[in-house]
Amino acid sequence: MIRKVLVANRGEIAVRVIRACREMGIETVAVYSEADREALHAKLADEAVCIGPAALADSYLSMEKIISATIISGADAIHPGFGLLSENSRFAELCEKCGIIFIGPGSGVIAKLGNKQEARNTMAAAGVPVIPGTKEAVYDPGRGAEEAARIGYPVMIKAALGGGGKGMRVAESPEEFEKNFLLAQTEAKQAFGDDSMYIEHFITHPRHIEFQILADSFGNVVHLGERDCSIQRNHQKMIEEAPSPALSEEKRREMGETAVRAAKAAGYVNAGTIEFLLEKNGNYYFMEMNTRIQVEHPVTEWITGIDLIKEQIRIAAGKKLGFTQDEVRVNGHAIEVRINAEKPEENFRPCPGTVTGLHLPGGKGIRIDSAIYSGYAIPPYYDSMIAKISVWARTRGEAIRKMESALGEVIIEGVDTNVNYQYGILEDADFQKGNVDIEFIRTREEKAARAETE
Amino acid sequence: MNLDHVFKKTKKRIFSGSVRKPEVPEGLLARCNMCGGAIVVEDVKNHYYICPRCRGYFRVPAWERVGQVADEGSFEEWDRELTGSNPLDYEGYEEKLAVTRLKTRLREAVVTGTCRIGGEKAVVGVMDGRFLMASMGEAVGEKITRAAERATKEGLPLILFTCSGGARMQEGIFSLMQMAKTSAAIRRHSDAGLLYITVLTDPTTGGVTASFAMEGDIILAEPGALIGFAGPRVIEQTTGQKLPTGFQRAEFLLEHGFVDGIVERSELKRTLGDLLRLHRAQGEKAEAGSRDAGPRLTKQRGSSKTAWERVQRSRDKKRPRGHAYVAALFDDFYEFHGDRLFADDPAVLGGIASFRGRPVTVISQEKDQNFGMCSPDGYRKSLRLMRQAEKFHRPVICFVDTPGAACGIDAEERGQGEAIARNIYEMSALKVPVLTVIIGEGGSGGALALAVGNEVWMLENSVYSILSPEGFASILWKDSKRAKHAAECMRLTAADLKQAGIVEQVFSEPESFTEENLYQVTVPLEEKLEQFLEQYGQMSGRELADQRYDRFRHLGTIKSETDRKRKL
Repeated sequence: MIRKVLVANRGEIAVRVIRACREMGIETVAVYSEADREALHAKLADEAVCIGPAALADSYLSMEKIISATIISGADAIHPGFGLLSENSRFAELCEKCGIIFIGPGSGVIAKLGNKQEARNTMAAAGVPVIPGTKEAVYDPGRGAEEAARIGYPVMIKAALGGGGKGMRVAESPEEFEKNFLLAQTEAKQAFGDDSMYIEHFITHPRHIEFQILADSFGNVVHLGERDCSIQRNHQKMIEEAPSPALSEEKRREMGETAVRAAKAAGYVNAGTIEFLLEKNGNYYFMEMNTRIQVEHPVTEWITGIDLIKEQIRIAAGKKLGFTQDEVRVNGHAIEVRINAEKPEENFRPCPGTVTGLHLPGGKGIRIDSAIYSGYAIPPYYDSMIAKISVWARTRGEAIRKMESALGEVIIEGVDTNVNYQYGILEDADFQKGNVDIEFIRTREEKAARAETE
Repeated sequence: MNLDHVFKKTKKRIFSGSVRKPEVPEGLLARCNMCGGAIVVEDVKNHYYICPRCRGYFRVPAWERVGQVADEGSFEEWDRELTGSNPLDYEGYEEKLAVTRLKTRLREAVVTGTCRIGGEKAVVGVMDGRFLMASMGEAVGEKITRAAERATKEGLPLILFTCSGGARMQEGIFSLMQMAKTSAAIRRHSDAGLLYITVLTDPTTGGVTASFAMEGDIILAEPGALIGFAGPRVIEQTTGQKLPTGFQRAEFLLEHGFVDGIVERSELKRTLGDLLRLHRAQGEKAEAGSRDAGPRLTKQRGSSKTAWERVQRSRDKKRPRGHAYVAALFDDFYEFHGDRLFADDPAVLGGIASFRGRPVTVISQEKDQNFGMCSPDGYRKSLRLMRQAEKFHRPVICFVDTPGAACGIDAEERGQGEAIARNIYEMSALKVPVLTVIIGEGGSGGALALAVGNEVWMLENSVYSILSPEGFASILWKDSKRAKHAAECMRLTAADLKQAGIVEQVFSEPESFTEENLYQVTVPLEEKLEQFLEQYGQMSGRELADQRYDRFRHLGTIKSETDRKRKL
């Protein structure tokens, strides 16, 4: 069993993990950078260890320092949260070598699924639908153009090691292929130090549908339904909901079974997410598998009543899943809104600063995941997400109204936030009808820009 | 809001049974001895033994080094079992050797053998600092000597990676003798016309520095490597002086003219492979690479300008500099620094390159460095490179662009006159083709020191003269303002000089000459260069020297005895 967990993260997810551990009677160790001395996670944990200067590379991304902190504090496990080292197979491997329980899948599985092409091959072999594309890495634009012609335009050009929208470009036609290929490749080289590129068919106006799965080390795999994360800006999710208004009960079962098959094919253990792109005609394609807890996990927790962090810890400790697929019941509707310290009017520029006044909503069916407090100075070095508000109601319509009510109550003084921007999306007629796809924000922004010029 | 010590702590659940505590296995993590940061040992080993935090270089064990530079599976070790004795019966030496052998799994402090690097065959020797600081005893000296001898016999280039605390004290005078033995073997290897490259790694000191480490045709160094004869501690104790930071580091040596270049570890294999290829014996010449001919040329008509206008054009700041010609005309240029005596003069850019697949030595005066006014160190560097070219039978191509040699106290202290004289003297007898192209100003002796060629070419608006028109006017007329008038009577334009037989070829220039339209000059220049190398490449060393002798012997208005005889 796990007695003490070191949380290798910061912000709200670190707080979320500390709370789950506390409820389970597991001691917690926080790590923090010099810029995070006053951060909530460092104060809330039973112990806290400073692991270096503000820069990520010197603190939260420093594998050696985090391993050392784990050994020194006597923790037996590390929860990596999301981002940072959570999907770093080298880090998971180091934990394994030191006999530290890494709360997540094994390093081999992370490495396999982190490599886009290998993941795709694994899925295709397991009968999971994949987007038509190149089987091997392409380095040369000429060769790439031939492949693109075979796959069919429009095509997406993306980096083998890509993520977060870096090293990705769409080419609508052969004429713009070479330029976009070289742009994406240069970006990839700079961001990841690798210029292996892949080309695939680009699906226009799909929805982003992802399935949450849980897998124990005894071969039991269940899915906890889907999340619809179509509201994205530059590949960054903004609003997530579950279940998706676009899935019939039959489609949900089919895609859920596919997700379970995908996880089994990968030999997956722990909590994971299989991302699909869903076309209007109902075709869906495997995109990638995330081998970590996700930002938007609360919506799944709302509709299933299952605590995903606790399940992660239980699975890592070698326990069997306590329920079967049939016992998983999806109930009601949940929505999550991400609150960022940023200025939407200035191209969503991050706005760190001190929170001088704070009021957050509460009441039945409203959940706050946050690490800010009154008087907290948001450091400029890290992600701008400062809170997640999630709501649950019996129906989608009621959930939207509840979220509107909740957002309408939010007061965050001292820093600019995207609360009003998010409120505007909830009021959008198309959103309310559930008529959205991953181009929703872009289309909306273009419309707004046009209206302004006219 | 102050959150210190306000939250309740976790109420621990009681667990039964003991749990194995996590621990870091030995050798997984280490501390960097340069920056103090924790490092994952395996990551460092997989990344050239470089600290991922401070980018500092760790010392590389011999076999790892072989793995880094040799083509996979190509290394064949020589003299593996060769060991020395205990010639002084020094107490404890044998035990010390035995322990070291166990620890390092090496028999001695150097590994020698043959391998391919980038497909090119070479003999290599790698010293390993873990073995008694890679000090040189009889066995080390013997292995290096045998490697050099066998390289000589088999006609192979030799590459030594040096790392050493110096002579092995436990072997006393016998250790000292290794310096002479190895150097003599290296000398024979050189006399056979073979290439010897040393790569100086941290630390290279004492008797190794004072012998084979510094005898390379090309001396490369790793960044930050300590290189010196006396170690810094000894110098501090002897002199009582505090040494400046960076003293005796590779960068310090580069600045002082003792290494040709500093090469990052990740670039080492490629660099060595290229250098070996550029020195491959003639006869198995690389396939001639075809260069992009560039845009087509529009024929320029010779424009009429006054001499003074041409002087001004030759000094135009936008005019392409020497390095631009080097980049436009050659491939794989590797710059070699330093005169091996005192300094590296940046006003002379020199090195080896490939011209249509043919190795050449390129030397260029750089107008952007000290106005192209070269120091004695610059001339001595160029002479060193010309001698190197002669050893490897490759042509020398010089680009001249200088208002004159550097003028000052330090230049005189180090013998500016001697340096120029020595260049002229030695160039006259070089046994390889020498071509000089005057691309801007050809000022006085500072230009001639690179212009004792088999042919000298000029650009349309370059000039070549005994001194600047300003200087001419002030000496003859005590009035430097009459420079314009001086220019007209000095006969310094390309057209005048061609007519006088001082230069063989003149290349026309675009109206506004910049790097943008440099190709308009380099495209025809490249063609002529090809013809030059073809024509002179067929001549013997003796014929080349004779041709050069005759060229200068018959210049001018007074006819020599032989000229007169010819006329009769």
